[in-house]
Amino acid sequence: MNLMADILINVIIAFLAGSLLLGLHRKVMARVQKRPGPPIVQHLIHSLKFFFKETAIPKTVSKVFYIGIVFILALVWIVGVIAGPVAHDSLLILFGVYAVYKIVEHNSGSSSGSPYGKLSCVRAVLSAATELPLFAAIVFVYLITGTMNIGEIIAYQSAHGPLVFTIPLAALMFFMLIITKSPYSPFAITKDKALISGFETEHFGFLRGFMLFSESIAWYVMLWVFLTIFFGPLNAVGYLIGMIVISFVTGFINATTPILSPNHSVMTQITIGAICFFGTVLMIFTGVVA
Amino acid sequence: MDFVTLGGNLLGTIPLGDIVLYLTPFNLFLFAVLLGFTLLIALSKPETQIEATMHTLNNTEVKVGPKEFKQRRFLSIICGLASAGAMITGDLFNFTLFMALVGILNIGIVSAVKQTSVLNSAFNYGLIAMMCSLPLFGGASIILAATGTLSLAVLSQMPASPMVVFGAVLMLIGILGESGVAPFFASKAEMFRTAGSPFIVIIHLSSLFIIVRAVEILLLVLW
Repeated sequence: MNLMADILINVIIAFLAGSLLLGLHRKVMARVQKRPGPPIVQHLIHSLKFFFKETAIPKTVSKVFYIGIVFILALVWIVGVIAGPVAHDSLLILFGVYAVYKIVEHNSGSSSGSPYGKLSCVRAVLSAATELPLFAAIVFVYLITGTMNIGEIIAYQSAHGPLVFTIPLAALMFFMLIITKSPYSPFAITKDKALISGFETEHFGFLRGFMLFSESIAWYVMLWVFLTIFFGPLNAVGYLIGMIVISFVTGFINATTPILSPNHSVMTQITIGAICFFGTVLMIFTGVVA
Repeated sequence: MDFVTLGGNLLGTIPLGDIVLYLTPFNLFLFAVLLGFTLLIALSKPETQIEATMHTLNNTEVKVGPKEFKQRRFLSIICGLASAGAMITGDLFNFTLFMALVGILNIGIVSAVKQTSVLNSAFNYGLIAMMCSLPLFGGASIILAATGTLSLAVLSQMPASPMVVFGAVLMLIGILGESGVAPFFASKAEMFRTAGSPFIVIIHLSSLFIIVRAVEILLLVLW
C-alpha cells in the first residue's frame, strides 16, 4: 500500500478507536459509580465539536507557544502512529514521542499565564517520575529480545511466546504508565480537578479540539505499544479485545481510586517502579528469565 | 550493539575529523524537535503570569522585563542548540560537554529572575549539577582509559569490560544529576514557577531529551 495512504488510514483508525475507547473508559467509570454516564461516542463527538467552536485567546498568553504547542502535540502523536503501527520502528522513537508529550503538558500549561496552567506545569515536572519505570521497562524488553525494533520484538515473541510471561513485572511498570495517562487516574496530578482542567484549562475552540484529537491518538498508541511488546503477535481482533479490556480495567481502577496528592503520587509510582525493577533484575539473575 | 538496532536505519553520517555525527530516525526525530522548539523560542514573547494577591481581591501580573527577556532568550537558544548537538553527536566526550553546558545554561536561564524560591531552587540544582559533573566526566574518562576511544561507532562494536561498565554507571549517575531528573527533580521543580514560558520549556525539554539520548548511548557502550 502507498505509504502516505497507510499513514492516513492508521491515523484515522487511531483517532476513531482512541476516541471510542476513551468513551468506553468514561462509561465504565460511570457505571461503577452507579451513574448512567455519557454515550460511548461522546468523546468522539466532543472532539469534533470543538473544531467548530469559537476560539478565544487570552491576552496574557505567550502566543507562539500557546498556539504552536497544540499542533506539536498532534504532530508528535502522528509521528507515534508512524513509528509504531505503520513502520514498526524503534521503541526509542516512541520513548522520544512520550518525552515530547510531557513537554507539551508542561508548556501548554505555562504558556497561558493562568495560575492553574502554571501549577499543572510544575506538577508535570514532578510527574516525570513515570519516565524512569518506562525507561526501565523498555531496557528490559531490549535485554530479553536483543533489539529495540518493534518488528523484531514481534518476531521474537512469535518464536518464544509473549514477553508478559517472561518479564511480567516490566509489563506491570508499563501498565502503570497507561494508568497514569488514563483520564481521572489516581496519578493524573497535572489534570487534578483542583486545577480545573490543568494544562488544558485555557485552551478553547479548535485548539481544544486538537488536544482531544491528540489525546485519542495517544491512548490508542500507548495501548498498541503495550499490547505489541508484551502480548505480541496479535491480529486486529486481538488488538481490539486487548484495548477494550485495558480501557475497562483502567476505568474500573480510576472509578474506585481517589486522585493522590502530588507527593503521594510520585512516591507510589517510584515505589511500584522500584519493586518491579529489582524484581525483574532478580528474576534475570536467578535464572527465572531465560 | 550498533546504531541500527537501537535507532533504526542509519540515514547518514557527518564526518568531522574523529568526531562523527550520525543520524538515525531516532536521532533525527530528537534533533528536529529540539531545533523546532529553539526556533519557536527565538520567535516567542513570554506570557504574563497572573497570580493572586494576598489579603486583597486583586491579581498580580508577573512579567519578564526587556533586559531580562533578551538575556534569557539568548541563553535558551544556546541551550536548545547545545541539546540538539547532544542528540546527534557520535562522540562520548562531546556528549558530556553538551550535557555540562546544558546544566550551566539551565541555571543561567532562571538566574535573572527575582523570586527567592526560584533562585534557591536554581542554587540547589547548581550544587547537584556541580557534584555530578565529577562522575559524568570521570565515567567518560574511565571508558576512554579502558578502551582507548570515545567514538560511539567504535565503542558500540567493543565488548564491555568491567571498567567500561563501571564508567557507564558513573556516567549514568552524572547524567541523572546534571539533568535533574528523578530523584534529583525535587531540587529543580521550583525553577519552573517563574514566568517566561518559552524559556523554562527548554529547561525541561533539554533534560528529558538528554536522558532519552543517554539511554541510547549507554546501551551502545554496554551491549
